[in-house]
Amino acid sequence: MSQAEVSPAEVSRTEVSRTEASAAVGAGPRRQTAAGFAALFRSELWLTFRRTRTIALLGILAVLPVLIGVVVRIETGDSSNGGGPAFIAQVSQNGLFLVFTALALALPIFLPMTVGVVAGDSIAGEAATGTLRYLLVAPAGRTRLLAAKFTAGLVFCLAATMAVVVAAVATGAALFPLGEVTLLSGDTIGLGAAVVRAVLVAGVVALSLSGLVAIGLFISTLTGSGIAAMATTVGLVITVQILDTFPQLHAIQPFLFTHQWLSFGDLLRQPMHWDNVLQNLGLQALYVAVFGSAAWARFTSRDITA
Amino acid sequence: MVEQGYAHRPRRRTAVRALVPVGVIAAAATGIGLVPALASDSGPSLPSLTAEQLVAKALGSDTQSLSGTVQVSADLGVPTQLLGMANGALGGGGHGGADPTAKLTELLGGEHTLQVAVDGPDRQRVGLIENLAGYELVHNGDQVWAWDSTTNQALHLTAPNGAGRPGAAQHGPAQHPGTPLTGAPTTPQEAAKLFLGQSAATTSVTVDGTATVAGQKAYQLSVKPKQSGSTIGEVRISVDADNGVPLAVLVKSVDGGKVLDVHFSSVSFAKPDAKTFDFKAPKGAKVTERPAADAAEQHRPSGAAPQAGPKTGPQSGAKTGADGVDVVGAGWTSVLSAKLPSAPAPTSDGTAVPGGKHSRASFPQDPAALAKSFGKPVNGGSLISTKVLNVLVTDDGRVFAGAVTLPVLQSAAGVK
Repeated sequence: MSQAEVSPAEVSRTEVSRTEASAAVGAGPRRQTAAGFAALFRSELWLTFRRTRTIALLGILAVLPVLIGVVVRIETGDSSNGGGPAFIAQVSQNGLFLVFTALALALPIFLPMTVGVVAGDSIAGEAATGTLRYLLVAPAGRTRLLAAKFTAGLVFCLAATMAVVVAAVATGAALFPLGEVTLLSGDTIGLGAAVVRAVLVAGVVALSLSGLVAIGLFISTLTGSGIAAMATTVGLVITVQILDTFPQLHAIQPFLFTHQWLSFGDLLRQPMHWDNVLQNLGLQALYVAVFGSAAWARFTSRDITA
Repeated sequence: MVEQGYAHRPRRRTAVRALVPVGVIAAAATGIGLVPALASDSGPSLPSLTAEQLVAKALGSDTQSLSGTVQVSADLGVPTQLLGMANGALGGGGHGGADPTAKLTELLGGEHTLQVAVDGPDRQRVGLIENLAGYELVHNGDQVWAWDSTTNQALHLTAPNGAGRPGAAQHGPAQHPGTPLTGAPTTPQEAAKLFLGQSAATTSVTVDGTATVAGQKAYQLSVKPKQSGSTIGEVRISVDADNGVPLAVLVKSVDGGKVLDVHFSSVSFAKPDAKTFDFKAPKGAKVTERPAADAAEQHRPSGAAPQAGPKTGPQSGAKTGADGVDVVGAGWTSVLSAKLPSAPAPTSDGTAVPGGKHSRASFPQDPAALAKSFGKPVNGGSLISTKVLNVLVTDDGRVFAGAVTLPVLQSAAGVK
């Protein structure tokens, strides 16, 4: 990867941040201290959320619920014929349901897209800009660097989910009545209990994306081109979801990481139905283990040439 | 962290480290593959029972309350559109989004999860767990509610106790949810009762080992037809060792394929919370009220639709005469017969037909023409053949259906 593509400003900016990080770690050769990890993690977090790109992605995610809310508000006439996105019949009854509609719409495409961009770029992007070398000269340690990048990716998942949730709550409260919430099982719960469930759902959705972070990180270690890694990660998400629709592939579908993504809806029943949610979380943990270790195997042993 | 020391041999190190993810995959695959295999191999050891004792235990089970999760997986080889149409043609009619017959006929195709709660014969609740949606059927005394979350429409029946449950007389006292409104088997109990009521002349029943179902120790009953000509090869029923509640029913076709699998994935015999059955129409729901007499009337023809499923054989004439449907033969090889209406069938009440999500515009409306387009020509008419269910539509407009082979259908129709 030639460094000519990269603007000097970008390099120096990242460099400064890196220098701070290594200074915080201290001069000792690769001391794996918690403080060292925290410094590295903070640096990664700062690097992720400081970028205009990240802010723009979060902004797009926040616009989505507003769009849905406005459309439902305008077309609130007869939404009871069963068509349209999930929960659409409930949204006009209770604004809180906009959270679940927005998440159900964002989870298959928008959320993985943003996560793919962040995770895919995390190592390949630094390799392309040439800053990865500086990182490895600094006594951070590759394993620790990878762990910090993964954790920062998880934080981004949570931030992305919260962007959708917060925007949906604001839009829902502004456009629709709040109050008692009718669950998918027909039971009615109070607003407080419903908010607790919304938080639970947001947590499950954020964790649903953890497998994808690991996949993106692994792909990112394979290439020196950030764009290639991002495109591959996002393309993979789309491919896997297409595979999930073929009835002929029934046998392997439970093992696709997107298969149980929409199971968060099961938390909106009384009693909550945890089977699919736990299966989903277990599957994500499996993907994190497999692709996390694959990323580690690749990253700790490869030559950094750029 | 010694990467820089070995930087000149990255390839070998990559190979060694690549063993870690491979190891993780291998461990996961072994875990996923082996654990169920080990669990199913060793059934619990239970005192031995004769088949008669076990059947008596199952049929005489006095457990009145339970709750749990039921997995229903049906592979009848019937296209879902056809299921919807059969339902419409046999009298489901269109009652908007919350109609239970249409909804529960869906159970006869694909995999479904149900949350079930039962408290005696008068209080039952079934929740169909759908992707980001739900469908509830609640029976509490003289109140029956059906509610669909996708459309926020509800159906409310008020019926005198008993009259609202026309199915009860046929199936025995320990009724279960779903039966008040439809014949589709929503619990293992219902499915098991269909097969255990058979006479010894037509059925061989043996005890075949033990198993653990939903964490409960259970005996396995193997029920096989003695008559030849049935397309059902074997029915395996798991009966709880403590209280005789059927926990799982597995129907296999003659070639060994799985046709119907109804089992509890979790079950509790504690009395469900009374609030469970206390259902009110949710806020903003569009409620359709239907009085009892109407409900009973609606039930009769609609019961015939699911009956065309795997239950056909064993039901042995219980519903003779309903809506012009007759039963020929007995036991496993009984055949349902009916006359096809010559005019386009379900158009009398407008265009609304259950299962309306499926596009129906592309299908011809005349049932005889439809049968011809689906079926293959055989001696005496056309045959619509699925995994277990065979339907013969004769040239003179009669229909013969059953979980039987073609020769049985032909002899019932009087054609050779």
